[in-house]
Amino acid sequence: MNDMTRREAEITATAIKISARNAQVYYGDNHAIKDVDVDIHDRMVTAFIGPSGCGKSTFLRCLNRMNDTIPSCRVEGRITLDGEDIYDKRVDPVQLRAKVGMVFQKPNPFPKSIFDNVAYGPRIHGLTRSKAELDEVVETSLRRAALWKEVKDRLHQPGTGLSGGQQQRLCIARAIATSPEVLLMDEPCSALDPIATAQVEELIDELRAQFSVVIVTHSMQQAARVSQRTAFFHLGNLVEFGETTQIFTKPRDPRTESYITGRIG
Amino acid sequence: MILLVVLALAAAGFLAGRMRALKSTGGDPRQLHSLPGHHGQMVLLFTAVPALLLIAAWLLIQPVVIERNAAALLAPADIPEGSSASLVMSDVRRISDGLDVIGAREGLTEAGIAALGADMGGLRDRLGAVGVALGGEVKPTVFEAAKLFRTESRGGRRAMTVTVLLTAIAGLVLSLRRIRPDLRARNVSETFVLALLIGSSLIAVLTTIGIIASLLFESLSFFRLYPVKDFLFSLTWNPQFRGGSDLGIWPLLWGTLYVSFIALLVAAPIGLMIAIYLSEYASKRTRAIVKPAIEILAGIPTIVYGLFALVTVGPMLRDYFAQPLGLGTSSSSVMTAGLVMGIMVIPFVSSLSDDIINAVPQSLRDGSLGLGATPSETIKQVVLPAALPGVVGAILLAASRAIGETMIVVMGAGAAAKLSLNPFEAMTTVTVKIVSQLTGDTEFASPETLVAFALGLTLFTITLALNIFALYIVRKYREQYE
Repeated sequence: MNDMTRREAEITATAIKISARNAQVYYGDNHAIKDVDVDIHDRMVTAFIGPSGCGKSTFLRCLNRMNDTIPSCRVEGRITLDGEDIYDKRVDPVQLRAKVGMVFQKPNPFPKSIFDNVAYGPRIHGLTRSKAELDEVVETSLRRAALWKEVKDRLHQPGTGLSGGQQQRLCIARAIATSPEVLLMDEPCSALDPIATAQVEELIDELRAQFSVVIVTHSMQQAARVSQRTAFFHLGNLVEFGETTQIFTKPRDPRTESYITGRIG
Repeated sequence: MILLVVLALAAAGFLAGRMRALKSTGGDPRQLHSLPGHHGQMVLLFTAVPALLLIAAWLLIQPVVIERNAAALLAPADIPEGSSASLVMSDVRRISDGLDVIGAREGLTEAGIAALGADMGGLRDRLGAVGVALGGEVKPTVFEAAKLFRTESRGGRRAMTVTVLLTAIAGLVLSLRRIRPDLRARNVSETFVLALLIGSSLIAVLTTIGIIASLLFESLSFFRLYPVKDFLFSLTWNPQFRGGSDLGIWPLLWGTLYVSFIALLVAAPIGLMIAIYLSEYASKRTRAIVKPAIEILAGIPTIVYGLFALVTVGPMLRDYFAQPLGLGTSSSSVMTAGLVMGIMVIPFVSSLSDDIINAVPQSLRDGSLGLGATPSETIKQVVLPAALPGVVGAILLAASRAIGETMIVVMGAGAAAKLSLNPFEAMTTVTVKIVSQLTGDTEFASPETLVAFALGLTLFTITLALNIFALYIVRKYREQYE
């Protein structure tokens, strides 16, 4: 109980990082996201839950304009990062994505060495001035992704040679090496076993100290464990959005309740 | 004719098999082990395949046997000076054909034809009148051989018709009688098809082996006439009609490699850039138009490229580059052939690389873009490294294509075998010399002609080595990336 009050205090204390107002997404003629209003707070984990095809991944991909790579996709409404409209013509999606990093559902290490995988972001953004500094960034990122101990002797072997769980942590290390302000995670644990999942969840909790994290998940337990705020999507609509404890204990909307209790989905 | 009959029998067998299978269960296909169609297929295969195989075997073996019988009638004296047994045999064949025509025209019976003899005058004229022109009077033995040849061929063909029909009917009847509800007709016909598939792949393999063997044997007989050492290490290529030629491979090999190198220098970067544009930047509609348009380049006959090289590119290079730079006055040059050949192989590089780049998973691109990389950084650092093995394969494929090219070289680079670094000088390649040596006037058994096979073998070895190298590279990188 004590813990809960402290969390609530935190929630009110942090600033809003990303805010979406009246967001609409279309794939061609298909209206995939309807009138979504969401506030993502800084230094907090926000979970998106909902049945498959409800639009949660689509909405997540709007937050760093990854949907730009899909030709038929169209986004309307206003989505702001630190008060700036990210769909404004003056915003370079490349710079935006450097600030809003992303981890995907399937581990997708580049066909490079482990070191080069992590050093990829810092290198292209010119974040480091010397080799020593780069080494350090790589090491801290791998440490924070709880992968350093396992790979420190094989940094120059291909990242594709790691196991699935290690690959996913490598992708997380790669994302945090760019030091983003927001980290989007699209079902990061769906391809992992329970042990690796636990490691990643622990990591997410630590990451909260520095970034705001948005995670899409199919596992209600995971949402309850790692997030402070939860958004429930259904058929492209945002049904309910609030503090995780409230969503899971006292859902206001009947649809949320039936999803959480396993009646729809 | 016989083919049609066999096929008609097989088709009838298919229908009969189906019907019999259905009838055997009283019209209920569910009680059959296999579908009625499978029964039909089985009957069809058993009717057609043995009969067709028999036809093929018969057609292969019959001429050999008959020629041996006919040749046995010929005396060594029948073979004139400077001629060979095979020439006389071809006379025999022509006379026997002529006899058919004479028989038909003059209304002779079989007995009438058999009664004809070489001692009857005017046989040469009668044969000439039906289009069989002979060099001299027909010798009695040759004529007898021709008559034997004729009767045996006719008899053989009749025997073949009968046997084939019997085989087909036997296959039809036997397989029809086998049809019962629990017959595993599906397995039988599938095994049959499997055998057919294996047979087809054997044809390809055997052909390859045959080609290599013929190259090897002819090359061996060349090396018996001409020292290997000189062929491999001599730096001059100077074939003479009267023998005493220098047949060093180096000037030709150098020409081949030089031209191919220039071609790749043109094709590899352009092709790769086309591929990157098409797969990463072009919209679907642009791609749908541009890709086939580029592939048309691959469909232009090489002789047309040759004309282009001869008439347009060659003189242009000479007037604007070679002469002002003082590098030569020849309109046919390595540069001309290389440039035009490069254009020709662009589609090989671009089309294959495009497919390969497209095969790089979208998740890798997303991963890179999600880290804030620009599209061009993504292509350079993630997509191309992942596609590299395939791209190298595409380039090497283009290389073997360039090495084997002949027409463009003849018309673009000339036919003078030279060892020179100047790209504006006329040179020639291995393939061109193979053509000119084989079609030359020298005797077939002379080293000047046989050298073509040794050249072919060398070329084959080079492209084989290239292919193995390409496979090695692809495999090495695949280990690293997957």
